[in-house]
Amino acid sequence: MLSHTNSAARRSATGQVVTYVLLALFAAFFAVPIVWLVFEATGVHLGMIGGNLGLWLSNSAIYSAAGAAIAIATCLPAGYAIATHEFPGRRPLLILTMLVMLIPTSALVLPLFLEANEVHQLTSPLAVIVPYGLFPFGVYLSYLYFHTERFNVLFQTARSDGCDEWQVFRNIAVPLSKPVAALIVFLNIVASWTNFFLPWVMYWSNDTTNRYPLPLGIALQLFNGETSGEYLGVVQLHTSSPPSAIAFLLLATIAPVVVVFVLARRWIGSGHFQGVFR
Amino acid sequence: MKHKSLMRPRKSGYLFIAPYVVLLGAVGIYPAGYVVYMALMSLTAHFTGLDNFIDATHNSEFVPAFENIIKFLGIWLTVLVVFVVSLSLMLHSLNERVGAAFRFVLYLPAALAGSASVMLWLFMLQPGKSPWGFVLSWLGYHTLGDSLAPAHLPVIFALIAFWSGAGSWIVVMHGALATIPEEVVESARLDGAGAWRTAVNIKLPLIKKWIAYMVIGAFAAGSQLFAEPQLISEATGGIANQAWSPNQLAIFLAFRYDYFNYAAAISVDLLVVAVVCAAVILLRTGLFDVGH
Repeated sequence: MLSHTNSAARRSATGQVVTYVLLALFAAFFAVPIVWLVFEATGVHLGMIGGNLGLWLSNSAIYSAAGAAIAIATCLPAGYAIATHEFPGRRPLLILTMLVMLIPTSALVLPLFLEANEVHQLTSPLAVIVPYGLFPFGVYLSYLYFHTERFNVLFQTARSDGCDEWQVFRNIAVPLSKPVAALIVFLNIVASWTNFFLPWVMYWSNDTTNRYPLPLGIALQLFNGETSGEYLGVVQLHTSSPPSAIAFLLLATIAPVVVVFVLARRWIGSGHFQGVFR
Repeated sequence: MKHKSLMRPRKSGYLFIAPYVVLLGAVGIYPAGYVVYMALMSLTAHFTGLDNFIDATHNSEFVPAFENIIKFLGIWLTVLVVFVVSLSLMLHSLNERVGAAFRFVLYLPAALAGSASVMLWLFMLQPGKSPWGFVLSWLGYHTLGDSLAPAHLPVIFALIAFWSGAGSWIVVMHGALATIPEEVVESARLDGAGAWRTAVNIKLPLIKKWIAYMVIGAFAAGSQLFAEPQLISEATGGIANQAWSPNQLAIFLAFRYDYFNYAAAISVDLLVVAVVCAAVILLRTGLFDVGH
């Protein structure tokens, strides 16, 4: 009996060691490229960056912020109404919302391009901002959040106390929505901040360089006039800025996401994503 | 319960959903409908039935693009399932603080999705610059051209996709594992099951649905591959050609030749794949609350 327990304990200790070694290897796989960026970026001068970093950053910030503002302004009331109201079309709308949220956004890029082309908005900031604002996953999150017995009783009480529908939403539902609102804003900003395909399709083809967000600025670094077509001869990467400048650009991409992540975490709480699924 | 739902307000619901419905129509439903319309019309705006779909398959790049994407998806989905599931189970066996720290490290690359991760991995694959130089030289790669040989591309795209995408799925799996009641794991332990047996026999079957969701979701997203082959094509002057993936082919036909109708046909092919995947996740996995 004793020896049995011992061997089991030894086995589980070995298991623990194996687990930690494997996890360390994976952590290295994920972290080393980012650590490399930090080292590579030291000693960079902003003058080394070929292109207009300030413009790319401000474009990215404007698109993401405007997109998130549209997302939150549409997701919260829609999710609230689907969770607490009873109206014809409610369930079809919910199912359609989930269907669209499960379709990768890239599937709609070419269709959006054809649409923007048709309405002559190809070079407008709206060509990316409005699509960024459509966030069905946020509607679903908001629906799940408000769809609880506790909240429904609360809203019902407010109504019998004489609040009109707008007051219930504005004075009770919105203040209660902070955790889910933070999660919606965070997920939406990360998605639009890193989006490459949509702005590429809208702005690249017609050289609207003054509209480029950061991901296009990064792609621009790969253009150097040296593409020969003889790929077997590619000895090393040619970029229009030195590696340290590119490393800095990539860190500039990651930094705001980390900041938003940390800020959003405080609102969302540590168990974020939990309860997203049934 | 019944009378309660009858007491819910009705009409005002339309005002709350109106802004969202307008947006969903304008940049969701309308463009999807418009691309289908374009795919069914000729250049001169005559109805041509499925001609564009058939003609698009005759393009010499069509079959290779789909072969490429299938190779990529095969590798990407295998890697994703094996490693995301095993990593998630390993992280779940650790204490909460350590697990959270690991998840943060694994999630961080998601902030570099898109062109940034491709740019970074071009450096990671560049002998003489890469911190993984010893691996590259062990494999016998001495130039960027060696690393990026055309036969390597599906693996490289899967590697980049895994690096920047796995963390999000690990967070999802964490949410799934967190729903397993403590007593279930505890009683398995009292029955003498070790960490390994608990993970494989108890936890794994309980997260099956989420794994199915991940596979279908990643299949749908992966079939849309664009940024990776596009940028590697730009960076190398054509190792990956300009129509390596179906989405690239659609864009190429639209931008280079103004074949908007063929492009629309390919786009509809991809959209159908995406909608079918979404419908399967929604209706078959039972993960989503479809509003009773």
